[in-house]
Amino acid sequence: MSKKLLICDDDRDIVEMLEIVLDESGFEIITETDSKRVLELISNTRPQLVLMDLWMPVISGDQILKRMREDKNISSIPVVIMSAAQDGKEVALKAGANGYIPKPFDIDKLLKRVNEFIS
Amino acid sequence: MSINHASDLPISGNDPANIKLLKSALDSSISGIIITDNTQFDNPIIYCNKAFEVLSGYLREEVIGRNCRFLQGNERNQQAREDIRKAVTEGESITVELRNYRKGGELFWNELYISPILGEAGQVTHFIGVQNDITRRKNAEENLQHEREQVELKIEKRTRELNENREYLDSIIQTIRQGLIVLDPEYKVISANDFFLKTFKVENRDTIGRSLYDLGNGQWDIKQLRVLLEQILPTNNPVLDFEVDHEFPHIGRKLMLLNAHRIEIEGSFKDRILIAIEDITQIRASENRKDDFLSVSSHELKTPLTTIKGYNQTILRLLPADINPKIPMMVNKSGKQIDRLQNIITSLLEMSRIQSGKLVLDADSIDMNILIKEMLEEAQEGNPEHILIFEGQTNHTIPADESQISQVLQNLITNAIKYSPDSRKIKLMLTEVSNYIKVSITDYGFGISQEDQKMIFDRFFRVSTIQKHFPGMGIGLYICAQIIKQHGGTLWVDSEPGKGATFSFTLPIKAKESGDE
Repeated sequence: MSKKLLICDDDRDIVEMLEIVLDESGFEIITETDSKRVLELISNTRPQLVLMDLWMPVISGDQILKRMREDKNISSIPVVIMSAAQDGKEVALKAGANGYIPKPFDIDKLLKRVNEFIS
Repeated sequence: MSINHASDLPISGNDPANIKLLKSALDSSISGIIITDNTQFDNPIIYCNKAFEVLSGYLREEVIGRNCRFLQGNERNQQAREDIRKAVTEGESITVELRNYRKGGELFWNELYISPILGEAGQVTHFIGVQNDITRRKNAEENLQHEREQVELKIEKRTRELNENREYLDSIIQTIRQGLIVLDPEYKVISANDFFLKTFKVENRDTIGRSLYDLGNGQWDIKQLRVLLEQILPTNNPVLDFEVDHEFPHIGRKLMLLNAHRIEIEGSFKDRILIAIEDITQIRASENRKDDFLSVSSHELKTPLTTIKGYNQTILRLLPADINPKIPMMVNKSGKQIDRLQNIITSLLEMSRIQSGKLVLDADSIDMNILIKEMLEEAQEGNPEHILIFEGQTNHTIPADESQISQVLQNLITNAIKYSPDSRKIKLMLTEVSNYIKVSITDYGFGISQEDQKMIFDRFFRVSTIQKHFPGMGIGLYICAQIIKQHGGTLWVDSEPGKGATFSFTLPIKAKESGDE
């Protein structure tokens, strides 16, 4: 069974970096930098975990998360929020995130966290 | 009015016995009585009774033949003399009060009643002078008068002082940079200071005497204000820092902090209400701007660092085993600098938050056994040349913000390693003391002098002797101390120069009572 992981961050460099790291660790990676399109992408690809930024233009990570939780088809997909915002953890947990990783993170810790959700 | 002939008396005038009786009667009088003969030159005294001798101190023989004026000493210009002269000339009786002098020179007040005796042809032949020593009454009167004057002076002085005080207080009230209004118990405005009038762009004449709720077409009829005045203040007096947020028609939205005080002292001011109004609209706006700035800069600084850190660690993972060993060494070093930069960013933001009082606690339930073990393992990995020892344990989890406590531990462990380059051992102790857990981190390095110990928890303080060799900003311990303090614990140091240092902190096992729950 492939370990499918969706990464959504408006910062292309971070997405690329994560893609390299996680690809190296044997995950199937889907990426998106435009938060407007991510809900549809999640519905279509049904990843085992979503790794998502918080502050993104037009629609923020916590808003996407709330909409996911309202959509029966994708409501059970775990979401880990990663953010550099001061109040990131609070916002993420309030919106119903399954986990939170503050930026900048250690790659080891990130992998450990991801593996907790996809095994 | 005048007394007529002796023949009017019921006793016949020519009988010597009767004359003796009359003389005895005169001598028995307590009033001094003299008779002068107006038909002789200079109106001399021809008779005085015993009481006159007592009163004046003169003997009869010293008095007879003299004019009465000798009693006045040097005070010949008394107004009363003028009155006497007039009465004498016109043959009328008169009562005057004179300042007279006894033989010994002592002043006495003489109430003198003068009555002319008319002869057969109606001419004035004699004067009878009846004299009473009214010195005591006069003195009492004078004392009374004096006291009255003194009281008046005092009242005048007190009034002046009160006026001065009122003006002084008034000038203070007019000078303060806060709006101040005074209301009567029916919420009518008794006074408003300049700052209030200026801030809310109103005139004194449209304000004084009107109900607060009616001011400026009812723009002060604010729900929060009614709650304050009608519900809170009657039972909670005074009320401090009451926030009112209101959109005024002309001056726009104002955020105000109110202190309200109802006067409870019995008297004419009772139940008056003082309201001090601080306009915090601008302050709050700039606080919010600062928060936004901090929040955005935090995000913007950390975002590029995320990519750099991620790539750096990935490079290290992907390096082939047979590569030039200098390369992993260099990547490792740049990794350490990235961590250092990350710490600086975190510290700066934490410090700004501490200063604005917004070090928010995320109260998790932390197992310190695990947290310390993890932190030590991490530190050990990065510093293989040091030996990190962990002793002790706790059976309790503690309510604390994990990321903040991690920060404190990391800071203290890093310091211990940093300042003991020649000694390899670092010891970490975890114990329970009363209702606290206690963590102590001991190194055997440079140590800290007594003098420096007092200041190491201050902002931007760096121990001068090590400053040059060990770069840093001097905010780490300040932040640690603040974080521990916010958790209800204490951070302190025990150290002797040359023998190392032990930094210890306590954290309460149970949450602070002041929490919301």
